[in-house]
Amino acid sequence: MFFAALPEPSRIGDVLMAFLSIVFEGAPYILVGTVLSGLIAAFLDSRMLDKVLPKNGVLSTFVAGVLGLVFPVCECAVVPVIKRLVQKGLPVSCAVTYMLAAPIMNPIVAISTLTAFKEFQKVTGWETIGNATMTISRLSLGYAVAVIVGLIVLRFRPDQILKKSVLDGIAKVGADGQHAPAPKSSFNAKLVHAMRAAMGDFLDTTMYFTIGVIITSVFNTQVDQSILNDVAGNEWLALPAIMGLAVVLSLCSTSDAFIVAPMAVFSMAAKLAFLVFGPMMDIKLLFMYSGVFKRRVVIALLIGLFILIGCLSEPWMMMIQQLATK
Amino acid sequence: MNGTRTTIHFLSILIMLVWSAVLLYFYTSGRVNAYLPPDGIFRDMVLIAGIGMGIVALFNLFTTQAENAACCDHDHGHDHNHDHDHKEDCGHDHSHDHKDCGHDHSHDHADVECGHDHGHKDEGSCGHDHDHKHDHAHDHGHAHTHEHGHGILEESAWPGRIAAMLMLVAPLTWAAFKTPDRYSANAVVNKGLYIPNYEDRTNADKFGLRQDKPATAAKVDRAAPVPTPMPATAIPPPEQFSKAENVAKASPPPPDKAQSYGSFTLEDLKKQVPQSKEGNFILEVPEIYYTGGDLEVQKVITGQFVETTAQVLPEKVNNDNGHRLRVFRLMVQCCAADARPYSIPVDFGKKAPDFKEMSWVKVIGKMTYKKEGDQVVPIIEATKIEETTAPADAMIY
Repeated sequence: MFFAALPEPSRIGDVLMAFLSIVFEGAPYILVGTVLSGLIAAFLDSRMLDKVLPKNGVLSTFVAGVLGLVFPVCECAVVPVIKRLVQKGLPVSCAVTYMLAAPIMNPIVAISTLTAFKEFQKVTGWETIGNATMTISRLSLGYAVAVIVGLIVLRFRPDQILKKSVLDGIAKVGADGQHAPAPKSSFNAKLVHAMRAAMGDFLDTTMYFTIGVIITSVFNTQVDQSILNDVAGNEWLALPAIMGLAVVLSLCSTSDAFIVAPMAVFSMAAKLAFLVFGPMMDIKLLFMYSGVFKRRVVIALLIGLFILIGCLSEPWMMMIQQLATK
Repeated sequence: MNGTRTTIHFLSILIMLVWSAVLLYFYTSGRVNAYLPPDGIFRDMVLIAGIGMGIVALFNLFTTQAENAACCDHDHGHDHNHDHDHKEDCGHDHSHDHKDCGHDHSHDHADVECGHDHGHKDEGSCGHDHDHKHDHAHDHGHAHTHEHGHGILEESAWPGRIAAMLMLVAPLTWAAFKTPDRYSANAVVNKGLYIPNYEDRTNADKFGLRQDKPATAAKVDRAAPVPTPMPATAIPPPEQFSKAENVAKASPPPPDKAQSYGSFTLEDLKKQVPQSKEGNFILEVPEIYYTGGDLEVQKVITGQFVETTAQVLPEKVNNDNGHRLRVFRLMVQCCAADARPYSIPVDFGKKAPDFKEMSWVKVIGKMTYKKEGDQVVPIIEATKIEETTAPADAMIY
């Protein structure tokens, strides 16, 4: 092994270690997301989206919330993807709903939540499916919040939401009122385009990701985590504390359930807030969002999601617990 | 491509190759094992992503010139409309944003700058003629945004670009060269070394000493060599264990308190846990940790000799007389950033020996349980402690 040559552990070393481990966990998914976004940029016919999505803005927002079940992505991959989809003519409300819902409403996350909360054992058949309390609450609340935010976004014009550089990239509506048709250039030219777009998106996303991960790693290793235990018992502070933790830990939505499940000091409702808020908002996402949305939209998203999820998680958990078979 | 764009293109490729190299190095050297757990696809994704980044970068390197030709080919023989369509596809914005004069101007400017290069290409590969002059200009506008219509690197001025590139390269390379692959005592303490909750049952399935765990639960890999091999096939649990859950359900005790989970005998312990030559039960710290919440297992294991390999730090709680050390293992769920220490005190009955912080030790001693504070604490009353080498996997996954 390399231990002889390795630097001695130190405070800086702790940060570097945490940094690298999150990078190793997250960067592969950013690559997947950006290659996908490059392919969308080059190959997706924007008329396709018009055909698939319902014409009604409200209805299509509801549909966008479940697309994660068909196209599962985690939150690192979704940001570059929605940027491209918006440029291909996807309504911003749908894009935001998909962006918020897909990292939660997705089969991989459902399985990891079931596993982490040991709900596989509790569900023995269709009659006992209500016993998967945490998984059901997480997916349903995530969906509801994403749709609510999408419906709010529906009331705004794209130029009030998106950064100018993203706005400029939106395919212009042609004279006939249709979005631009698909490019007819050769496959090779498209592939070149896709790979260049992928590289640009990768560096873009990764830069914001890197900033977020540095902050997260510092908190993760340099701050005494036991401060959380002191606030967890307080019914007024527990929710904000665990949601704040979700922000600073910046965990991947596929694995956050494993982290929060063992935190015995927090209530189920607090854990639900963590599991819904975390995939929608954290330090790395804050920076990644700011590459797509206007700054005040990102701040509104941060505050709005915090309040919305903070208020909903407690009653939501009580509601879903009614489903459990005794 | 003009100078600036070419520079950015190559710098982008270079940055991407740096990322690829770091990921591939950590995977192939095996050092990634200190960061990510073996189960799931975490480690494989590092390899796949390293290769993927390399492919994207090299593809872009080898097609540096290709685009002009592609666009040129494409525009040939097509009418104006088509040209327009094509521009749309490139997701590029500026050149056909007719309302925006500022942009148009800048594009014209770019065209002039690049005209030579482009014209040259045309003549060489496309057999372009004078009729295409107009198209050509459009086309070029297209090529411009095509390559550089996205990303901070293209949109910012040079100071912004340099800052972005530094952010992309500096933290990663610094971390890659300077990471120790292990945490210091400071991080372990911050991650909760001195606030164990022995009655928590969250990961008890994985580390519990009972056999009535789900067949799917992964058995923990033991760091110490296993002298007496585990039986090749799992021994079926005794009859009463299959009903243990019912027993527990019948009288639900308060949650998160040490409780009874059905009977457990010394025979069960012997079946479950390998023993050393001297007859010590070889246990991992998390396994001992979780016995704190299981009364039946406690009864059996109290007074038994156990042996465990772990890292050592000074004890800070219930240690006024300095008789104790604290041994721990870090457990990782998804990546090293979420490592959590599982720790237990080791009592020497006299002044505890000095060890360098974080060194690996093998502890042999008698198990005992004491009510300290509001929980039952598993303690090893040490008869022997010696420094040892780190196991292959420093963390438990």
